[in-house]
Amino acid sequence: MKRIGVIFGLLAMIVAVPVILQRESATASPESAEDRLVILTPHNESIRYEYGEAFASWWREKTGRSVYVDWRTPGGTAEIRKVLDAGFAAAEARGALGMGVDVFFGGGDYEFKTQHKPKVGLGRLVRLEVFDRHPEWFSERGISPYFSGEQYYNEERTWVAACLSQFGICYNEDGLARLGLEAPRSWSDLGDARYAGYLAIADPSKSGSVARAFELLIQDQMQQAIAESPAPSEREAALERGWARGWQLIMRLCANARYFTDSASKIPQDVGQGDAVAGMCVDFYGRSFSDEWKRADGSSRLRWVAPAGGSSLSGDPIAVLRGAPNARVAQAFVEFVLSDHGQHLWNAKPGGEQGPKEKALRRMPVRRDLYTAERMQQWTDGEVNPYEVTGSFVYQPELTTKAFGTIRSLVRVIGIDSHEEMKHAWKALREAGFPQEATQVFFDVSELSYAQMGQGDAGLGSSDGLVVARRAAELGSKFRAQYRLAEKMAQQSLTKGGKP
Amino acid sequence: MKDRYAWSIWVLVTVLFGAFFIYPAVTIVGEAFGQKGGGWTMDYLFAVLQDPVYVEGLWNALALGVVSTLVTLAIAFPLALFSHRYDFFGKNWLSVLVLVPLILPPFVGAVGLKEMLGVDGALNALLIRCDWMEAARPYDWLAQGRFMGIVIMNALHLYPILYMNIAASLANLDPAMEQAAENLGCSPWRRFWKITLPLTLPGVFAGASIVFIWAFTELGVPLVFDYSRVAPVQIYDGIKDLGGNPMPYAVVAIMLVISAMVFAASKWFLGRSPLGTSSRPKGRSHARALRGVKSLLVSAFFLVIFLFASLPHAGVILLSVSNDWYQTMVPEVLTIRHYDEALRHSLVVPSIQNSLFYASVATLLDIVLGLAIAWVVVRSKIRGRALLDSLVMLPLAVPGLVMAFGYLALSQPGKPFAFLIGEQGNPALLLIVAYAFRRLPYVVRSAVAGLQQSNPVLEEAARSLGATPVRALRKIALPLIGANLAAGAILAFAFAMLEVSDSLILAQQSEHYPITKAIYTLLSTLGNGVQLAAALGAWAMLFLSVAIIGAAWIGGKRGGLFKV
Repeated sequence: MKRIGVIFGLLAMIVAVPVILQRESATASPESAEDRLVILTPHNESIRYEYGEAFASWWREKTGRSVYVDWRTPGGTAEIRKVLDAGFAAAEARGALGMGVDVFFGGGDYEFKTQHKPKVGLGRLVRLEVFDRHPEWFSERGISPYFSGEQYYNEERTWVAACLSQFGICYNEDGLARLGLEAPRSWSDLGDARYAGYLAIADPSKSGSVARAFELLIQDQMQQAIAESPAPSEREAALERGWARGWQLIMRLCANARYFTDSASKIPQDVGQGDAVAGMCVDFYGRSFSDEWKRADGSSRLRWVAPAGGSSLSGDPIAVLRGAPNARVAQAFVEFVLSDHGQHLWNAKPGGEQGPKEKALRRMPVRRDLYTAERMQQWTDGEVNPYEVTGSFVYQPELTTKAFGTIRSLVRVIGIDSHEEMKHAWKALREAGFPQEATQVFFDVSELSYAQMGQGDAGLGSSDGLVVARRAAELGSKFRAQYRLAEKMAQQSLTKGGKP
Repeated sequence: MKDRYAWSIWVLVTVLFGAFFIYPAVTIVGEAFGQKGGGWTMDYLFAVLQDPVYVEGLWNALALGVVSTLVTLAIAFPLALFSHRYDFFGKNWLSVLVLVPLILPPFVGAVGLKEMLGVDGALNALLIRCDWMEAARPYDWLAQGRFMGIVIMNALHLYPILYMNIAASLANLDPAMEQAAENLGCSPWRRFWKITLPLTLPGVFAGASIVFIWAFTELGVPLVFDYSRVAPVQIYDGIKDLGGNPMPYAVVAIMLVISAMVFAASKWFLGRSPLGTSSRPKGRSHARALRGVKSLLVSAFFLVIFLFASLPHAGVILLSVSNDWYQTMVPEVLTIRHYDEALRHSLVVPSIQNSLFYASVATLLDIVLGLAIAWVVVRSKIRGRALLDSLVMLPLAVPGLVMAFGYLALSQPGKPFAFLIGEQGNPALLLIVAYAFRRLPYVVRSAVAGLQQSNPVLEEAARSLGATPVRALRKIALPLIGANLAAGAILAFAFAMLEVSDSLILAQQSEHYPITKAIYTLLSTLGNGVQLAAALGAWAMLFLSVAIIGAAWIGGKRGGLFKV
């Protein structure tokens, strides 16, 4: 009995520590709350905590009622899509309008466009009341429907960007020094073969916003090719050339890749810790992690840069779902997120008035009218006005939008699924000093011409899973054979030439 | 045992198993066989078998499973044998400490390992300091030799499963057999090969089949090593593909078949050996006391295995107290701020309550079901018992994510499992069922091994003296296989506390989160998310360590956890 007492005493002590430390919260407990709001989101815990707390206080001030914010976080966009599909399928089967969730918050505009118009069934988003309540927020000075070619709200007003984000490059300065590389400034810089095995790449097959980053990378090459040959008669050739260059750049990146991941935080974490030297990374993760490793002199071994070209300022939307059980609170939440207070919270320094309680969120507000000198002084990234520093790159939907799904699948087929063969060939090419013929074989993208793929590949875009799988297997086999051939040729050239 | 009882248990368990495991699994895996516009097709299955990338992934998974099992056995068998045969310095503590590697918290275990083996990690820092490595050319442990890296990590994580099963088998071994061999002049080696090893085979197979299927379907370790051409990673990647790729479900179906075949083969092999007829121990074996260098050598063996297996754990603990840990053997500045921030988070206390509740009830359910199944499998002669035995192993072969989506789809309002969701969407019952069926194989294997080794004559004697089957079970069989059941239940409880997929997908509201989802949530905190998750992970490790060591300590008073 004595032993049992000791063990249970110890276990009780271990459990007691978090019980004693528990922090107070502005959000009411689920049992005592007068109102409830159910939000489905891939946003990180810091954003959930700060927006939950701030909205609860705002709601009490406005209505005198308490609210419990019920955050639903099944994972990233891929998991959220499955939850929405399963939820709405079940709702439709039993004749219900909604699946019991009020708000869909974050995850990139691609997913919101999909939910607005799913392949099967009714649209899952409802019109947002904030457009009628605060038309002044949607002027050119506030939130415009388009900026740098990116859409910030749709015509039907069922979703609206709540904040902005940009894909960029994070790198480790020590790692660069070790590999003898300069700091990268553009996507092309990451194609340098010295990065081999040390480049962390985001996986476009699992995230719409990563897929968009790859689309922009190709489009940047296309726009450059058009600029080189502006004559209308040369446009088609320029498009084809740019498209091919885009794919060859993607092949370089994939060949250098250490891995492909769908975790937003893994890349800056691994780069910061030195396991990778550089990687693709969203702005606010890059900035936050860079801050975490800040040294006494203010410098940090992890740096984030917006690449020159090939990256646009995309909106991260919010929407109210069809059949929301707490529609009134849901519409109010959207209003709060777009209000001065809600927008300020995205980037305000912690502790200040209307600022976050615990951590800076490091995200860029979408309302342009709030980028005033006075307000930006209170921001963590007050020196950055994304509306002024986006560079010359403007996304042109007509060039690549139709190929969006194809681009996503192709990166998987030729880069991710074929990575082993690709890596071996890349190693052989490097060791042989990139002999011309073998390199040409490696980078042969004639199979992916713009004429054939630019409007989307019929096989990869088919709604029949089997057709997609067969087309992917067919293309994959071709590219793997190509990589193996390039490897063999490189090895032979090394044997023949003796030295690279 | 009368067939009537056996059949009623068989029917009950099969129905429950069919409803709560086969049905959700088939719902999801069925996507691999569903034709567009209705009907069934084998096309996806053939497409997988014709795709060299998937085929290579399956071969690699199989190779990882086989090699990991062999290496695990090479670690676990000597540990269990030394522990059984000898008394050595620190034995009581060391034989419990070697179990601790099992309780690696999810997500952060990988990060902990990377802190140790990373390019700028602790191991390289040590080697550079010792001048065994150039600072400008650090070795990339995680990227080089990935296959063996994964095997070693699997073995160091999984050996406690085999160790516990073999230890329980050895405890049930009749010392008279070994003594007889010894008296007849048998050499120690010959005695081991001819007597000890064959008699412990039920325990070896019980553990090895779990280890094989675990390593064959392991996702986390290959992900840490970024080894993507292996079936479980291909399934995981495919399921998350936004394109709605049906191929991963076909791969799941193939993995299920392979797992079932390997398990059936091992049973067939076991069935050919004259086991299950061994008599009950007629005496307790006495461990021989080792002295001096020999005693220290055995202790050192235990300690070395424990230390290597604890590398990720050490990584998690150091990470949880580090400000920044980079290019040094240990963090240069230590802090408790992550513990303060993590443990006072509003999610933590409810998640602890929830996990304790979910895991305890699931374990209880496992003990009842596991015992009933083992009883039918070992003691009855009914025809369906082998089928039942193979069926209950299948949960190990289905990736957690697949099952979780199956449960999710079936628990939507209006669907068959909707009754498992309580008021305000409380998923307690659903999670308990999910945990219980996923962890059932551990308890079944342990109980089967125990029953196979205990002599049915004793129970038959009790029955012939008028005891009811329940009384015979309670008074005779249960006390005899208590150690095996305890081993299985500890595994089931620890794994339920640390379960990932069901916890992430099915616990949707923060008030119902189990502890793994709380760790996952903290992980996504900006900046120091990894350290916060490590802090809560370290808390969970401490709790489970005290619980497991406590169980062993309490059991120790009664002659040891794995002794009868």
